[in-house]
Amino acid sequence: MSDDLLTMTLQDKLYRTKYEPDTDHPHIEVDNAICAGCVGQPCVLLCPAEVYKPNPNDAKQIMVSHDNCLECGTCIQVCPHDSVKWAFPDGAMGVKYRFG
Amino acid sequence: MAEDQVKVDAIIVGGGPAGLAAAHVLASNGLEVIVVERGEYCGSKNVGGLLYGTVLNKLIPNFWEEAPIERSVVRRQIYFLGQKEHVSLDFGSREWGDAPYNYTFTVHRSQFDRWFAGKAEEAGASLLEGMVVDDLVYEGEGAGRKAIGVKIRGEEDAFLADVILLCDGANSLVTKRAVQTLGMHEGGRDQHYAVGIKEIIKLPAATIEDRFLLEPGQGAAVDFIGVPFDGVIGGGFMYTEKDTISLGFAGKIESLVKNELRPRDVMDRFKQHPLVSKYIRGGELVEYSAHMIPEGGFSCVPQLAGNGVMICGDAAGLVNMSLYKEGTNHAMESGMLAAETVLKAKEAGDYSRQTLRFYEEKMYASVAMADLEKYKLLPEILDTTPEVLSAYPQRVNRLLIDYFTVKPDETKKAIQKEAIRTFFRGLPKLKFARDMIKARKLM
Repeated sequence: MSDDLLTMTLQDKLYRTKYEPDTDHPHIEVDNAICAGCVGQPCVLLCPAEVYKPNPNDAKQIMVSHDNCLECGTCIQVCPHDSVKWAFPDGAMGVKYRFG
Repeated sequence: MAEDQVKVDAIIVGGGPAGLAAAHVLASNGLEVIVVERGEYCGSKNVGGLLYGTVLNKLIPNFWEEAPIERSVVRRQIYFLGQKEHVSLDFGSREWGDAPYNYTFTVHRSQFDRWFAGKAEEAGASLLEGMVVDDLVYEGEGAGRKAIGVKIRGEEDAFLADVILLCDGANSLVTKRAVQTLGMHEGGRDQHYAVGIKEIIKLPAATIEDRFLLEPGQGAAVDFIGVPFDGVIGGGFMYTEKDTISLGFAGKIESLVKNELRPRDVMDRFKQHPLVSKYIRGGELVEYSAHMIPEGGFSCVPQLAGNGVMICGDAAGLVNMSLYKEGTNHAMESGMLAAETVLKAKEAGDYSRQTLRFYEEKMYASVAMADLEKYKLLPEILDTTPEVLSAYPQRVNRLLIDYFTVKPDETKKAIQKEAIRTFFRGLPKLKFARDMIKARKLM
């Protein structure tokens, strides 16, 4: 883990943000049949929290780490194929800003 | 209706500035009102910028005496960052350090919103925190269809109300569904959004005051455009709180996609800029956050009232994305006006669009909408004239640097002449003149 303010990784940054994780209840689903045909996969590019990553075994498939989600909603806006099914996490779950 | 089913005057979806302002007004007038907030506490899902308090001061006079204000903004600065060089405009007034503090403050939203929620509760509103509204409940068909309540996740029975205020913020899933179901399509163009990232960096209060030339309790708000944001329609910001600095940027989503820029890379590039990094050095990151901002402005404000519903705040796109970056204040104004409309509707005993249109009339006569209208062309200008955020300031930057560059054996006259020549070199003068006229609309 890096403590250097200027070079810390995204994982180091997310570690500073408080969450109430709901690991067993993903609030995001993608339809990988659709994602496989997506050029550019803008969700991967735009998500500020690296929730969307190409599957290392098959880059056409998207892996979703919903526990990282900051609930900004950018993925919903940016998905060109309506593949992202995004619901609010259950009450009081998910990101919980202490400063905001 | 089942006997134990709840029915109140108004249900407010979302406990942010819009919803809480509405709740405060309604409860103060003796109405039964419920605020449903999906976060564990109001503010826990929110990310803030500056807080302008003209509307809040009407609701809660001299609110700064009790609200969790971090600092009042006495100093503002606009930076243009070049590759190596920079230019800034720096202004402020000692008067801004005295009440009413130019109504400009920095706050931590998780603390501020919680305080505001407490005030609404004191006025008599009921808060249901940690509860998710998944959808509205409707009655009737076609043009006569109206919203009559909300469906809360995990609750068997719907919660019913005469009117629902949709204050669910930028990522407004409930509003979007309601707009579809009620066919509220009379409004403006499709909304578009910026994504913002913010890092909160902890530093001792005295260090912040030294770095920003501030007295204790006073704060600074700094805006940035330039090289770290190449290809991004947007810019950076830096605000001082008591013992933290908020550093972040917001960029139009389409511009990031088009230029294949990862927002988190843009954030790092901004933070690592030699000028920016000096403000935050030695600090410790205590929170990383992201949020969307509706930035379509006036032209994208939707139909604001339907049968049994009104839309307020970010959900209605009421954000001024000019240098003022004003959102919470407009949200509160819309919440207040929606609440006043509820009072009128209750008197009339009618909550159809016919009566609730009064809210639209009030909004279009409000300061918020007048401000949004003034900056109506801003999104279009930035789309069609990206030079105003990069190439033109870069030239001014170059001009100043060249003008003050010291060279042995060269006269000032020669240096200045060359600087001015460089400024105009390759500049399409007619386009430049036209663009400057357009750019005036940004101010």
